Amino acid sequence: MLSLPNFAAQAFNGLVLGALLALIASGLTIIYGTLGVLNLAHGAMFMVGGYAGVVAYQYSGSYLVAVAAGSLFVMALGLLMERVVIRHFYDRPPEDQILVTFGLGIVYVELVRLTFGSLSQSMPPPSWAAGITSLGFMIYPTYRLAVVGIVAVALLALYLVLYRSRLGMIVRAGIEDAVMVDSLGIDVYRVFMIVFGIGAMAAGFAGIVNVPIAPITPDVGESILVETFVVVVIGGVGSFPGAVLGGLIAGEILSLTSMVDPSYSQVMLFLVMTFVLVVRPRGLLGEQGRA
Amino acid sequence: MIEARRGIRGLAFEGWTALALVVAPFVLPKIGFVPDTMNRVLVFGLFGVGFDLLFGFAGLLSFGQSAFFGTGGFVAAYLLTRMGLTSVMLGLAVGVVAAAVAGLLVGMIALRRTGIYFAMITVAIAEVFFFMENSPLSDYTGGENGLPGVPGPTFNFGFASVHVTGGWSMYVFLAVCYFVGLALARRIVASPVGRIFVAIRDNPLRAAAVGHDVHAYKLLAFVIAAAYAGFAGGLLGVLQGYMPPEAFTFDTSGQLIMQTVIGGLGTLIGPLVGAAVWLYLRDFLQGSLGMGASWKLALGVVFVLLVFFLRRGVVGGLSDLIALARSSARAPGKAAPGGGDDAPVFAAAPQNSNPAPPPARDPGEPEIAGPILQVRDLSKTYGGLAANSEINFSLERGELRGVIGPNGAGKSTFFKMLTCEINPSSGSIHFEGRDITNLGVTEVCQLGLSKSYQVNQLFTRLTPRENITIAALAERRGKFRLDLLRNPADIPGLSQQVHSTLALVSLTERADVPVSGLAYGEKRRLEIGLALATSPSLLLLDEPLAGMSPRERVETVKLLKSISKGRTTVIIDHDMDALFEMSERVTVLQLGKILVEGTPDEIKANAAVREAYLGGVLE
Amino acid sequence: MSLIEVKALNSYYGDSHILFDVDMHVERNEVVALIGRNGAGKTTTLKSLMGIVRPSAGSVKFDGVELVGLPSHAIARAGMQLVHEERRIFGSLNVEQNLVLAGLTAPNRWPLDRVYEMFPRLKERRDSRGTDLSGGEQQMLAIARALVRDPKVVLLDEPFEGLAPVIVRDLVAACRVLAAAGQTIVLVEQNLAATLALAQRVYIVNNGHVVHEGPSRELKEQPKLLERYLGV
Repeated sequence: MLSLPNFAAQAFNGLVLGALLALIASGLTIIYGTLGVLNLAHGAMFMVGGYAGVVAYQYSGSYLVAVAAGSLFVMALGLLMERVVIRHFYDRPPEDQILVTFGLGIVYVELVRLTFGSLSQSMPPPSWAAGITSLGFMIYPTYRLAVVGIVAVALLALYLVLYRSRLGMIVRAGIEDAVMVDSLGIDVYRVFMIVFGIGAMAAGFAGIVNVPIAPITPDVGESILVETFVVVVIGGVGSFPGAVLGGLIAGEILSLTSMVDPSYSQVMLFLVMTFVLVVRPRGLLGEQGRA
Repeated sequence: MIEARRGIRGLAFEGWTALALVVAPFVLPKIGFVPDTMNRVLVFGLFGVGFDLLFGFAGLLSFGQSAFFGTGGFVAAYLLTRMGLTSVMLGLAVGVVAAAVAGLLVGMIALRRTGIYFAMITVAIAEVFFFMENSPLSDYTGGENGLPGVPGPTFNFGFASVHVTGGWSMYVFLAVCYFVGLALARRIVASPVGRIFVAIRDNPLRAAAVGHDVHAYKLLAFVIAAAYAGFAGGLLGVLQGYMPPEAFTFDTSGQLIMQTVIGGLGTLIGPLVGAAVWLYLRDFLQGSLGMGASWKLALGVVFVLLVFFLRRGVVGGLSDLIALARSSARAPGKAAPGGGDDAPVFAAAPQNSNPAPPPARDPGEPEIAGPILQVRDLSKTYGGLAANSEINFSLERGELRGVIGPNGAGKSTFFKMLTCEINPSSGSIHFEGRDITNLGVTEVCQLGLSKSYQVNQLFTRLTPRENITIAALAERRGKFRLDLLRNPADIPGLSQQVHSTLALVSLTERADVPVSGLAYGEKRRLEIGLALATSPSLLLLDEPLAGMSPRERVETVKLLKSISKGRTTVIIDHDMDALFEMSERVTVLQLGKILVEGTPDEIKANAAVREAYLGGVLE
Repeated sequence: MSLIEVKALNSYYGDSHILFDVDMHVERNEVVALIGRNGAGKTTTLKSLMGIVRPSAGSVKFDGVELVGLPSHAIARAGMQLVHEERRIFGSLNVEQNLVLAGLTAPNRWPLDRVYEMFPRLKERRDSRGTDLSGGEQQMLAIARALVRDPKVVLLDEPFEGLAPVIVRDLVAACRVLAAAGQTIVLVEQNLAATLALAQRVYIVNNGHVVHEGPSRELKEQPKLLERYLGV
């Protein structure tokens, strides 16, 4: 039914979903832009962040601890993954890189399934964001509104790191010309490792923040991965603003089309991706050149 | 890699496989295989044959094969259960066609991009097909319940009628289907199309530059893989008596990839072996060891380790071991690849025949009067930088022209525009009277214009013979031909052309050594040979002498002189002595423009040229 | 002990053998030039020194320390800097960011004021993105970026190529100032006038071999040598 409250609710849902997708896709895209590696384990890392956070919550009872734990755990996982595995694949064909991250993604999912089983785990929203809020013409769960704000802060932090910090400057130079950065005395592989950690952390952060909205299962990462890919293709691979824009667009498409027919929303997203591919192959904000 | 050779040797593979299939039902149950598992192994093995063609041979990593597996399976199942079709084989056939069509449509979208993008798009496709099965089309597909009641096939042999249900009769049926599918795939791999797939995986740029329509071949590979997937999907429904929605999941695609990598890419039977390993371990670990859900974790770890260390999987690793054992058993006869200046540059090649170079392309029509190449006002600008400015250049038929110029003169850019690797910003190029501006590298090669590259662009995983064959195939067959079942030996003139090209560049002795084992000079000669094998009327050579030792230079100059007979040749190089010795006329470029043209002596004496090179030092 | 001591250096590009047993040495405070035609191996020599191309055989000793096999960032920290022929400035960063980034791991980095004093044009353009700079400005930035690290040796690969004569003149003057202040420079250039004006000693490279070494004034007096190896 196309009533204003319904529409508004879905539009807000789209914003929430879009913000999360934007954050996850940003992580994926800066990893690809800097290292040239497509991280097929990215969805699994989203899921691992959720689980790590839930465990931390069960011990501490604190939402903030949970979020911190989820993010940091996945960051550590990312650093380790780059150092131990990915680093050996820079000289290998891209298909090998894809296969190894794909395999690692499976391993993470199965490890979690082994540890926690297949039933879902949940975590309640923090007390300061519990309940519902009245927005005049409609009511909406408070936590979801909070998520928009939380993710916006995270995206802002990511932006500040990328565009206003020394590290970000090195990363952006490294995206352009890693060899030159190395020639200027900066160990590029160390930079790569950090970037992978940051990108992973973005996924993990989104993973734990999402748990109060939707309880988490080991398989949740799969659909997130697909949606993230679509976002990146729409926005342009290697572009942080592209990931944000693409995420918001994708979120709205998924939510609004589900009003018409829930089963069509995924198809609709795919159609938009196809359209972008045909009309503007490098994505809305992408750079020409990268495959 | 599977090498299909003619004769008894060539059928050994099929023979062994048939034997294994016959023997398996007697042997495998002893180690714990049940008929249902073995049947599933066959279905996934067949699914993987198509995938191996796509990824193992053509190099396209697709995560979306489940889409076609499900499409074929559900179309067949729907016809057989809801539409009252009685012939199972017909239902399966329609399923294959449906899957192939889906493959064509999806391929046209997905193959617009390469590498990473392509993989991402195929992931999305898998999900979309799953969603479509689950919801919008659930009336047809049964949604999350799938389609039950798929019948087994019945075969009327006149004297008897066999109805295939489960168990061992199903095994026989599936084994025959698998064998047929495998044998077909072997033919495809041995055919010109199969060779071109491998070339595309190795060096798509060069495959296009020697005249193959790379996009069309990729699409073909995609459709073939989809057809195999569709057939396997249909068989799954027949096997289970029920078509499950899980066929469409991304998981299924992932499982296929893992099985194929574990078994071995590029081996065709790798997926069968991988599926056997996968399903056996699943039953074994889950059942006997009671490890429950962790079988998949174990397999995931195995997969990662294999990608790391044993990229060629179980079958590949085994065949490498066998090859290693064979070659060390052989006496160390063949000399190591020629290294320094001591080794004979042109190893004992029978110089007696002085083989004629492959003839320049037959124009077909009477020769057009006028220059063979006419370039008018050709320019290329990048942002603010003018790499080439208003170049006017013409070549008479049969000339040997040298092109020189100091750094930044725009020589390589000029060549790239001639071969249509890049499009000019303005101006036109006419080749044999035809406007070829913006035509594209494949077309232009087919018309008779090709180039040998400054930096070697070889098919590095192949031998020189195979390299030359790839180029010759484009010359003989045009840019695309659907000859999936043809034996390359049946192509008229092919082997003569390959043989004579190899002889011309003096690589006959080394024709079957993988490129990685060749010395640099030999690789450079192969590079020239690749361009020659396309029978160009106009041959461009970009720094053919680059990186050569003094001895190699002398020999290569001889080679270049001989191949320039009967065709028009343009050479860029920095070795002035060599260039002036060979060329009849020389064009000098500077800062993107033509400075002067003339005979070598005229150029040497020209003050402006000296100025360009020596920068005004000499007063 | 020479500042740079190169012995029997062999380098490949892919598997194209570019440098054949190259010997050379560079003393402190010298300006040494490598000249020769394209494809002779001059750029490969500089890249081999900087570790961007890994030599297959031979030795490069820098202040007594063996450089062959070290990653570029370690060689940079040892005090070597290469200004690439393609300049390779970071287009997405502005002038100042390019300079700051260059100096991050250099203990004796130049204060920005010193850089701007040497290249006032860069000060004017300090907030401009790399992609917005003209060719001459990019070249200035590339050189400035190398100097920021206060390197013991600066390797310049065709710094004057493709620039207007006025700009070349200014750059040559800047290099003169540097040399006078004692900066050790290895210069690869096709512009022979500039080269012979700046360098005290010259190596001629042909087809990957060093074919001549001597003081630059000798070359001015022997134009036949130049004709043979550089001309047509």
